[in-house]
Amino acid sequence: MAQTEKQKHIRNFSIIAHIDHGKSTLADRILEFSNTVEARDMEEQLLDNMDLERERGITIKARAVRIDYTAPDGEKYALNMIDTPGHVDFNYEVSRSLNACEGALLVVDATQGIEAQTLANAYLAVDANLEIVPVINKIDLPSAMPDKCKQEIEDVIGIPAEDCPVISAKTGLNIADVMAAIIRDVPAPEGDENAPLRCLIFDSVYNSYLGVVVYIRVEEGTLNVGERIRLMHTGAEFDVVEVGVMDPFGLRPTGSLSAGEVGYFTASIKNVSDTRVGDTVTHAAAPAAEPLPGFKKVQSMVFAGIYPADGARYNETKDALEKLQLNDAAFTFEPETSIALGFGFRCGFLGLLHMEIIEERLEREFNLDLITTAPSVIYEITKKNGEVIRIDNPTNYPAPDMIETAAEPIVAASIITPTEYVGGIMDLCQDRRGVFIDMKYIDTERVELHYKLPLNEIIYDFFDALKSRSRGYASLDYELEGYEPSNLVKLDFLLNGEMVDALTFIVHADKAYARARKIAEKLKDNIPRQLFEVPIQAAVGSKIIARETVKAMRKDVLAKCYGGDITRKKKLLEKQKEGKKKMRQLGSVQVSPEAFMAVLKLDDDQ
Amino acid sequence: MNYLEAIGQPKPLGIYVHIPFCRSKCAYCDFNSFVPTGKEVMTEYVSALIAHMESYKTVVSDGYAPDTVFIGGGTPTALPPEELFRLVRAIKRIFSLPKDAEFTVEANPATVSYSTLARLRRMGVNRLSMGLQSAHENELKALGRIHTRQDFARSFRMARDARYDNINVDLMFGIPGQTMDSLLHSLNYLTRYMPDHISLYDLKIEPGTKFYENYREIRPLLPGEDAEADMYLAAIDFLRERGYVQYEISNFCHPGHGCLHNLKYWNCDEYLGFGVSAHSYFNGQRFSFTPELDRYVQGVTVKDSRVKITAECEEIGERERIGEYVMLRLRLCDGIDEREFAHRFGYSFEALYGDKCRKFVRLGYMTVQGGVTALTPAGMFVSNAILSDILEFEDLGRYQFS
Repeated sequence: MAQTEKQKHIRNFSIIAHIDHGKSTLADRILEFSNTVEARDMEEQLLDNMDLERERGITIKARAVRIDYTAPDGEKYALNMIDTPGHVDFNYEVSRSLNACEGALLVVDATQGIEAQTLANAYLAVDANLEIVPVINKIDLPSAMPDKCKQEIEDVIGIPAEDCPVISAKTGLNIADVMAAIIRDVPAPEGDENAPLRCLIFDSVYNSYLGVVVYIRVEEGTLNVGERIRLMHTGAEFDVVEVGVMDPFGLRPTGSLSAGEVGYFTASIKNVSDTRVGDTVTHAAAPAAEPLPGFKKVQSMVFAGIYPADGARYNETKDALEKLQLNDAAFTFEPETSIALGFGFRCGFLGLLHMEIIEERLEREFNLDLITTAPSVIYEITKKNGEVIRIDNPTNYPAPDMIETAAEPIVAASIITPTEYVGGIMDLCQDRRGVFIDMKYIDTERVELHYKLPLNEIIYDFFDALKSRSRGYASLDYELEGYEPSNLVKLDFLLNGEMVDALTFIVHADKAYARARKIAEKLKDNIPRQLFEVPIQAAVGSKIIARETVKAMRKDVLAKCYGGDITRKKKLLEKQKEGKKKMRQLGSVQVSPEAFMAVLKLDDDQ
Repeated sequence: MNYLEAIGQPKPLGIYVHIPFCRSKCAYCDFNSFVPTGKEVMTEYVSALIAHMESYKTVVSDGYAPDTVFIGGGTPTALPPEELFRLVRAIKRIFSLPKDAEFTVEANPATVSYSTLARLRRMGVNRLSMGLQSAHENELKALGRIHTRQDFARSFRMARDARYDNINVDLMFGIPGQTMDSLLHSLNYLTRYMPDHISLYDLKIEPGTKFYENYREIRPLLPGEDAEADMYLAAIDFLRERGYVQYEISNFCHPGHGCLHNLKYWNCDEYLGFGVSAHSYFNGQRFSFTPELDRYVQGVTVKDSRVKITAECEEIGERERIGEYVMLRLRLCDGIDEREFAHRFGYSFEALYGDKCRKFVRLGYMTVQGGVTALTPAGMFVSNAILSDILEFEDLGRYQFS
């Protein structure tokens, strides 16, 4: 298809990199180099807006920025740089962002080489037919091995890397090479401006003044202000209020966007869940025949109970969850009640990182103290009466005599590690009920392991365990493969004879004893001594399979009453009283909020 | 209004005087004490104390009759003897002390001489308090004490010879390296001297001490919670067999020898403390003086000095007084008497605390007999946990005495 003059001067690309390999720094340099942002206006890592993202050095939400760039030959280009999330939890979002581009910069740390995450995203880019432009970064570091990296890229991904840019994003070295490679190697977009409208939604954010701001890539046709549009999967229709592009300083209205362009529109949309990532925007009056391929409704994979530490703050917690959901369609919640923890919410997340992010944002941005229960996956139970139910809260797991079959989610995991840690990692996978698929040597020093693993074995502390067994060098990627029948049991915990529903969880029958013992031990270590002995029991059904005892407190006294210093003793007791208020009363036993999470750290190697 | 005031009688008052000097600093001590640079510092300090007490003379004589004195530290006997005598004479004069007033001086076994003890006795000091801490040299060394067991034996005999018939000896447990056997051995050693009063303290590692700084090394040597609780209960039994009555968490005596001054603290009676870091409960206020020696001396001796010497001061309201009373009285084996409580505050103890106490009675940490609520020995050793559960220093409004 013939490209218009406008299209010939557009480049849409994203940057793929492992955490810490310098993606955001490179993005900053590109902005700076193209004079889009003056050096004096530069804030480190301009693209990552959330404080959390800056601190963790990861991207949580996709983001796009348009860069007006004049090449050395005088040609003027519009470069759309689309930042993608960098974690396995957000795989689907990544794939949609990549579909909005024609090319991707693959940034590899010259001191580290390719990591599992990079590889997974690189494959996603290959699947999306993107032109991949390798960039070797951090060559200012003494331990950089650019030639080895190039070889690795050629061997593992199978793309030429001989002449790729070799740069330091930190010092700004050879950024011009990156710009030249973008213009030269990333294909210009195609698409008929006059065809029926099809735009890909790759993200949306809620803004309290504009409503939902929808980020799009126009594949075909032209979108203008005032037109009535339809979202092809949800069927919802809206009138477009504003159309424009994102420059580094914010939204810049342009009135229209045509095939090949990346930008945004607003249409007084109240809820981000109306604008699903991957959905197709078309004209209501003259709709396209088919939506763009690849749409999936994102589904939560990991569930946990979130409870305010102070029960009186239930409504505040609810407001906060609602506000977060405005911006995060992948996050779900509904009210639930726990006997132990009172009123709270069962929340669904894409994965453990997503869960941590939500928790952290709730605590940081909304100043809430929370208790989070053990994360769980969704189990599929076929009951004896033929009914199939999906269980996201272990407390609701049916009694054994009602279950015909139970199935649990299985993931295909890929782990890349230096060879010396392979043994330990294989032990770990074995221990987590992993099924070995294969092992490939990337080069003489690194291997890629493939395993099938039950999701419920990796959602607690697998990543931490992996890191500790490989001194931080191993990397993990996984995707959901499906459900497999499994011999699962419900494990309950009793404190002082009373069941604590918030501690209940589902485990494979073969591991029940070991897990029960370990958790009972952890509980023992995390429950402070009380004024009476507290038995801890783990039970499957009515059978007690592990037992520990928290001995009664024996000593808590101020022996000497310092020369009449009564104030000091009073302060001490008041402080102690404050401390007790933070504890959760489970029946007659006081438990610190931390105990709930502490019991989930199962790996002894740490 | 107190009934003594009502009938125009002076109220009793305790006088505490703090001497912040020591020959060396013990590893466990977080009291305000230090090794002085010379005699002048001590002379100056004693002068400041006397001036300070002088300034309270009128307030005290107008409504109070001081009846106990306690000179503590630090180490009062670290003062040059003539300075200590000057201080004792001044106290007697300023507060018009009656002859039978309890007058205690703390004495370190390594820093007393017979002549000093005898002269103090003639001046009216009638009670001594000595720190033995342990009868084992290795434990004394661990504590950083400068005296030996022989020093103690010599000092104790000297004190008896100097006609002291009311002597307290401090002993510690929970010392790094200590065992049940070594504690019982120390108790056995001590009781053969038949002191009139024994204070048995559980070592607590406080911030600002050498033990705290070296906690990592110390920790594995500490007997631990269970062993210390066992030691405490065993010590109570041992002392009972030797004729010592426990009357407070850490205090034991031959009948009739309870420390009247310390009992003032636990009964919420009034006392005035002079010197650095000294605490007072006087005229409905709790207050303390600055821990800084220079500031204290300047503040009380320089005329029209703008230097403030008060460190803390709080007005104790009714509700807080009730909370303090419960907190302090439960330290005593006599506990809280329902009638006395009602008489003192106009509230019913049962109505305020009865419910909360029942749980602890059930667990064996408390007894309620004949209207008296008290902690059992096991309860005393976890008294912080119990008190932090039952005490409210505010919000008593919802309870009405009927």
